[in-house]
Amino acid sequence: MRTGRYLLKRFIYIIFVFFIISILMFAIYKSLPGDPVRMMMQDNVKPEVYQQQYEATKKMLGLDQPVPVQYIKWITNMLRGDFGYSTEYRRPVKDVIGVPMRNTVLLNIFSMIFVFLIAVPLGITTAVKKNSVFDKIVQVVTIIGYSVPGFVIALLAIYVFAIRFPIFPISGVKTAGFTGTGFAAFLDTARHMVLPVLVMSVGGIGSITRYVRASMIDALRMDYIRTARSKGLKEKVVVYVHAFRNALIPIVTVTTWWLIGLFGGSVVIESIFLWDGLGKMMITGLNQRDFSVVLAMQMFYVILSLAGNVLMDIAYTMVDPRVKLEN
Amino acid sequence: MKRKLLSVLLASAMLVSLTACGNNDNGAVTNNESAAPKTESTAPAEENDDAEASEPSTESTAPEVSSERPTTPSGQLIIGTTTDLEQDFYDPIYNNSATNYKVCGLLHGYGTVITTKEGEWQTDPVVVADLQTAENEDGTKTYTIKINDGLVWSDDSPLTAKDYVFALLLESSPEMMGVDNYAATGYTTLEGWADFNSGSTKALKGVHLIDDMTFSVTIAASELPYHYDLAYASVTPRPLAVLAPGCDIEDTEEGATITGDFTTEVLLETIGNTDTGYRYNPQVVCGPYKLVSYDASSRQGTFEVNEKFAGTFDGVKPMIKTVIIKTVTADTEINELQAGTVDLLFQISGGDSIEAGLDLVDAGVAQKHTFFRYGYGKIQFDCSQFPTDSENVRQAIAYCLDRNEFARQYSGGYATVVHGEYGLSQWEFVDSKDWIDENLNTYEKDIEKAKEVLAADGWNLNASGEEYKDGDGLRYKDVDGELKPLEIQWCNSEGNPVSELLGTMLPDAMKEAGMELKATTTDFPTLLSGINHDGETTYNMYNLATRFSLQHSPWYYYSMDEMYLGSLNDNWILDQELADAAWALKAIPGDDDAAWLAAWQNYQKVWNQKLPNIPLYSDEYHDFYSNKLQGWDTSSIWDWTSALVYAWVTE
Repeated sequence: MRTGRYLLKRFIYIIFVFFIISILMFAIYKSLPGDPVRMMMQDNVKPEVYQQQYEATKKMLGLDQPVPVQYIKWITNMLRGDFGYSTEYRRPVKDVIGVPMRNTVLLNIFSMIFVFLIAVPLGITTAVKKNSVFDKIVQVVTIIGYSVPGFVIALLAIYVFAIRFPIFPISGVKTAGFTGTGFAAFLDTARHMVLPVLVMSVGGIGSITRYVRASMIDALRMDYIRTARSKGLKEKVVVYVHAFRNALIPIVTVTTWWLIGLFGGSVVIESIFLWDGLGKMMITGLNQRDFSVVLAMQMFYVILSLAGNVLMDIAYTMVDPRVKLEN
Repeated sequence: MKRKLLSVLLASAMLVSLTACGNNDNGAVTNNESAAPKTESTAPAEENDDAEASEPSTESTAPEVSSERPTTPSGQLIIGTTTDLEQDFYDPIYNNSATNYKVCGLLHGYGTVITTKEGEWQTDPVVVADLQTAENEDGTKTYTIKINDGLVWSDDSPLTAKDYVFALLLESSPEMMGVDNYAATGYTTLEGWADFNSGSTKALKGVHLIDDMTFSVTIAASELPYHYDLAYASVTPRPLAVLAPGCDIEDTEEGATITGDFTTEVLLETIGNTDTGYRYNPQVVCGPYKLVSYDASSRQGTFEVNEKFAGTFDGVKPMIKTVIIKTVTADTEINELQAGTVDLLFQISGGDSIEAGLDLVDAGVAQKHTFFRYGYGKIQFDCSQFPTDSENVRQAIAYCLDRNEFARQYSGGYATVVHGEYGLSQWEFVDSKDWIDENLNTYEKDIEKAKEVLAADGWNLNASGEEYKDGDGLRYKDVDGELKPLEIQWCNSEGNPVSELLGTMLPDAMKEAGMELKATTTDFPTLLSGINHDGETTYNMYNLATRFSLQHSPWYYYSMDEMYLGSLNDNWILDQELADAAWALKAIPGDDDAAWLAAWQNYQKVWNQKLPNIPLYSDEYHDFYSNKLQGWDTSSIWDWTSALVYAWVTE
């Protein structure tokens, strides 16, 4: 009951914050210099025709209305699932956003799996073998991993694995002229995904390994670990059942943000590897003053963030029974 | 034609000699020692065959090839482009990205009027059986065009005059404007266009369907005379049966009209449907290539030869069976060529990329082809703003910049400098070389000269209002009793190497002359709003680049008509002498080269003095391509889509 009330309160809070942020976002983008109508018009046209087309386009986009009216129309349509009209692509936003979102999610899912498969065991091992040579090597490597800029690693990876030793393609999502379908198509895309996933994972592995290690070191210091060991439990059970479960809370926080981040494109990675995703679309939208696209994406991220916080709270209760939602 | 060929040869000889002379009047700073203004190629020589025989030859600049041109289409070519190909294949009005713009030209052919490799306007003899011109008493001009029998769409359906008339009506109609707000700007010069476009009339007065193979277009008197008036007779057909099924074209006394269920709703389905619409998935085309597939996730397009295509104006049919267009980045494009993931990179500029490409050429991995850009990078002045409303101030800024050094540093040596509003590939330039050397100011860097022109303009005071002396810093001028400083507000776009280089080369020199350059870096939309006076701030100058249209019409760009200010006249310049010099070009008949050249020279002279822009550089573009591509020959006015039809691949 208390959990239900808590969730209801959070839901109301989400709605409230959503509307406040939507007003702020809308106002900010409307105040940016640059005219979206002019950006979509051809300029090499007779002025009288240009002016006529300009006014018609402005009216079609609803930009001839006062800003508050534009906001009400936009938010009403948005809540109905109509995200507006892309001035860059001259198509409804929902028609242009699907493919980049799929590309971004695909890349991020593989990257996340790769990161967690490596970082969690590595973090646990380094915590258990704290101050060993292995631990120190991993510490140095992980620091390098998350402190070297992504674009440097990307260019290095391209040079080594695509140019010096041409194992993987330099860029793109699929091989030019490839006509395979089904599993063959998946394999082709997977081959193109290797380098971007590798580059995205380097930073993630670095940071999450250190998160897990620190959390595990704290947990391994606890009295209940000593008790578990003194009970004669196997070291694996002590580490993976007793210590790791108690080290999960900070890991849940990071994991939740990674899940939310599944939908956030990386401008740098997508641009270097020509992976057509949401990051690139966001930048193009901003540069072209394609506010419908940008606002739709921004509001999507707002909802994800707000919902992510609730999910995180719920996840805390699952990994630690001491945490109650009413608290 | 002969005269222009001679011009090209002369230009070749001239530039070779200029390059040999090193520091030259003409400002060429190219690294390419054998660079000619038209083209250069490293491919081996080819025997002439039928297909090439009628192609305008450029002799020393023509491509050399190592195999015979096949007689049936074969092979595949992967073209890398730094601009994404979008799924938008109707025309540039919907999507004017550079790649889509060109791809539309591959899909939609059979235009009645084309431009040759030399940039000459002419009717396409493959399409047009006969063109009759009549100048009417009311000042209008009528072109009556008879289409050749036997032309077909890619689905083998016959192509008739109705398809041409339909295109004219469709793309002028209010119904079409309802399809994603199509900007009906293609045929605005037609008599009665405004009434038809507004929906006041159902028939377009300036268009008539005469018979199944003949139609006419009448140009409004207000649009005449016009130097490029043959371009008014240019119409590209659209498949009536596909875009307006069940509709027909009917001719009336008031003009041609579309009968049947011709509504925006119908067009939204036939053109605007994102799966099957002609805009996204055109299946019935008449260009040299047809769309096979578009992959949205990788933004790759695959195109195949349209077997029904009757040929270019000189009878050439495409011989590369499959063409794939994919995106590349400037950082790794040369690596993609080396790895074989692309076969052709076109219009490469910038020293680093060019040097990397030349390394591949030296290693025998690739071939190259070079040509000069038909346009230039520039400092563009806002001539309505104080103090750049003064031509002396604009000239003084020009005297503060070593443009040859700028072009060399910016391009790595692969660029040239011009002194007027022209490109090195223009025949007018080639014919005027000596005249330009004698008559145009080259604005060599000269701070003393800058001080001199500023002093002559009244910038003689210092901050205290006393007479300006060297060392006083900023110059001031008494304007209606108010002391105004010589500050130049410069707006530039972020991440732009031209801005960065100007930022290192200009400020100190301008300071020495008594000016202060105040820079603001913004994104491009903000810069555009500054140029258009839409934003809160207006600036004195911007750095931009421009490409001349094949219908380059300076009379619009320097018109003093208020309506043109900020639109086509984006210098906001109100100068009667410049406007008159430009306007004098408009009425010269298209075939009167002598009169055109004289007026052009006068226009360049006035322009060079008024200096609404400072030309900074004109790139020497490089095409790099794999050894399998043969017969590749592009120029600034004969782009990669044109060259593609004439080239072939050896597998």
